[in-house]
Amino acid sequence: MSDSLFKISGGYLYDPANGIDGQVVDLWIQDGKMVAPPTDPHVLPTRVVDASGMVVMPGGIDMHCHIAGPKVNMARKMRPEEKRKAEPVRRTATTHSGTMGSVPSTFATGYKYMGLGYTTAFDAAVPPLSARHAHEEFEDTPGIDKGFYVLMGNNHYVMKSIHDGEPERMKAFVAWLVGAAKGYATKLVNPGGVEVWKHHASGNAHSIDQMIDHFDVTPRQIIHSMARTVDELGLPHAVHIHCNNLGMPGNWETTLATMKALEGQRGHITHIQFHSYGGGEGDEATFCSRVQPLAEYVNTHPEITVDVGQVMFGETTSMTGDGPLGYYLANIYGTKWFSADTEMEAGCGIAPIKYRNKSLVHAWQWAIGLEWYLLVTDPWRVVMSTDHPNGGSFLAYPQIIRLLMDRTYRQDVLKTVNPVVREGSVLADLEREYTLSEIAIITRAGPARILGLQHKGHLGPGADADITIYAPHENKETMFELPRYVIKDGRIVVEDGEIRENMFGRTLHVEPAYDRGVEADIADWFEQFYSIRFRNYPVTDDYLHDAQRIDCTVNG
Amino acid sequence: MVLCLRLQKPSPVPLEVEGLTPESLSTKSLAEIERLTIFQGNREVALGEYFRASGDPGDAVVEWQGDLAGVHWIGAKMTTGEVRVVGNAGRHLGSEMRGGRIVVEGDAGDWVGGEMHGGLIHVHGRAGHLVGAAYRGSARGMSGGTIMINGDVGNEIGHTMRRGMLVVGGNTGDLVGFNMLAGSVLTFGETGIRHGAGMHRGTLGFFGPTAPPLLPTFRHACRYRPEILRIVFASLRSHGFPLPDDVEALEVDLYNGDMIEGGRGEMLIRAA
Repeated sequence: MSDSLFKISGGYLYDPANGIDGQVVDLWIQDGKMVAPPTDPHVLPTRVVDASGMVVMPGGIDMHCHIAGPKVNMARKMRPEEKRKAEPVRRTATTHSGTMGSVPSTFATGYKYMGLGYTTAFDAAVPPLSARHAHEEFEDTPGIDKGFYVLMGNNHYVMKSIHDGEPERMKAFVAWLVGAAKGYATKLVNPGGVEVWKHHASGNAHSIDQMIDHFDVTPRQIIHSMARTVDELGLPHAVHIHCNNLGMPGNWETTLATMKALEGQRGHITHIQFHSYGGGEGDEATFCSRVQPLAEYVNTHPEITVDVGQVMFGETTSMTGDGPLGYYLANIYGTKWFSADTEMEAGCGIAPIKYRNKSLVHAWQWAIGLEWYLLVTDPWRVVMSTDHPNGGSFLAYPQIIRLLMDRTYRQDVLKTVNPVVREGSVLADLEREYTLSEIAIITRAGPARILGLQHKGHLGPGADADITIYAPHENKETMFELPRYVIKDGRIVVEDGEIRENMFGRTLHVEPAYDRGVEADIADWFEQFYSIRFRNYPVTDDYLHDAQRIDCTVNG
Repeated sequence: MVLCLRLQKPSPVPLEVEGLTPESLSTKSLAEIERLTIFQGNREVALGEYFRASGDPGDAVVEWQGDLAGVHWIGAKMTTGEVRVVGNAGRHLGSEMRGGRIVVEGDAGDWVGGEMHGGLIHVHGRAGHLVGAAYRGSARGMSGGTIMINGDVGNEIGHTMRRGMLVVGGNTGDLVGFNMLAGSVLTFGETGIRHGAGMHRGTLGFFGPTAPPLLPTFRHACRYRPEILRIVFASLRSHGFPLPDDVEALEVDLYNGDMIEGGRGEMLIRAA
């Protein structure tokens, strides 16, 4: 053994991926990785952290947040009033200064994730044309490994390939694009709908069978084709789907149709809370939850996973690749608004929003999120997220954990929301309380498995030594908001809320193999339509500071 | 009694004295006050490094002395008491103040009364841009209180103003009352262009010798003598604001606008 052995002794370990549920287990670390305990009893570690009486879990993984790239930066610029009022993050001997508000600055984002015990996070929507921007911000986001999903649901080349009936060309293009952007997964946002919005006043795709004019494809075709392509390429993460009709009353039918359109292929439905509404347009009183039929479908279809997108009451900023949604929100709330058209690839909408517990719609959104956590029977297929910052900040995760683990607290909060929701939601009848092991699943082990990250989300030999140690507390919000230690790659980076080391973490990306014969056609298309030449488009290896390529070996 | 804070030496970079309000100082000794920290650029220093405190802070009256053009945030967020500036003041004078009174004998910088909620600011000299305005990104600017500037001011005064009164004795720059939500801005000198652009409600009064050019989205309503102006002018005189002699029984042209925002704002322009 080398002399760099590091031991965490005596903690109650919650490592559900390895079947460990609160047993006292010593953990051994060497060179940033978990290792098996030494067989020679005379081998001593060079450093020991005594975790006796404490709760030990793998580092948290946020699989759906918005922390880098052009839309995030635009939201920062749009909200100076928030930043002015928020408590600043002061510079220390170890750390940079930063700003907070609903869209923290890059350094502050990293520090706050570290402080919360999260060691990995994925930005969920980056136009590949702006990939460099996201990578550059990642280099200023310390303490966490990170990656991003590449927007493809309204990509002209993708839609053209589907229309032309050329699945192999689409497959090669998708592989080339995600690799060129140094992204991690494919993302569909309101597939087809953003293109309709770009070409028609208040346009959108209102069902997955609506024909997207000019391209003559339907959202259903985009969803199905992309799911098939992702499976054929063996990408570690399934197609990541932001369904059509986000936020609209009655949109649960679109969500169910989207799940069915996968036809047994893998699919991850993201921020599903925003897609689980009953009711009809024009009458707010009909707005209601339709989690139950959707959760039943998820429960019986193991190929489908979801993250919740929990809404928390308070002020935040909505940012989305769903251009028409941004316009819709800005009109409803009379706020400032930003819209972008990323030429051949995507759109974007940003608007401030304030979730109020007395608002019928907002209270339903809050309740619907919790219903999702409590109605999906398999915790491995539901992931904690707030769609940061859309439903609320990732800093609200400890409060969500308390809502899930403490039924009395949940009922107390339910009593404070709009009375229609209090009476109408099944939340009052749900007795389920999450265990610590289940919390470890929905915040670490589950997202790691869903993302295909075999070296994360668990603490078996070979895993990244990303570890969070909590002091147990009756109030689970208190317990989870201030870890005793956070260890990243085998180094203690946070101790009692103080950042001890300013490390940066890696960029996680994929580079699927593809038929390079397609490049001539892509190059020709670029020369015709793009504002950037084909040869200048891909992000090169030397552009990334510290990166890790994840293998594409998942069989569909 | 008055607490005097005299600037002892110039600073090569701005000093920021946010938080040194009359009420917060009133319970402290002079030694404690000199130990309070202020910002010199991005560095925290003791107040006593640049200012000498004397007098008695107990009555919540603070007199800042010296050339304070590089001293920002004087009287910011104050809620009661009085601030006197014997000389010039820097930017953000009385920012977000809720009550009390600030009097500046000299000139003041930009953002006088930015997002102020209440109280009174009287600058005897000139002031900079964005008097009573919203800070960038904010939903509303000044939402109450009174600002009186005897001299000239810059651009964008009353930007997104929500309530209160802003009066300028001298000349104004461009975009008076830009995006104004409500409240009143009265000016008595020459003015620039594009006033009231995007205004929703509120009153802009241009009583100087030359009528300003109007945006095409303002529509003439009538010519009349508003009685309310007599009352307003009497109130301003009672506060010591030097009004021109020829504004009694003023006849004005009333314009409504900005029509692109519903046309509920009013602009009063001295009739030729």
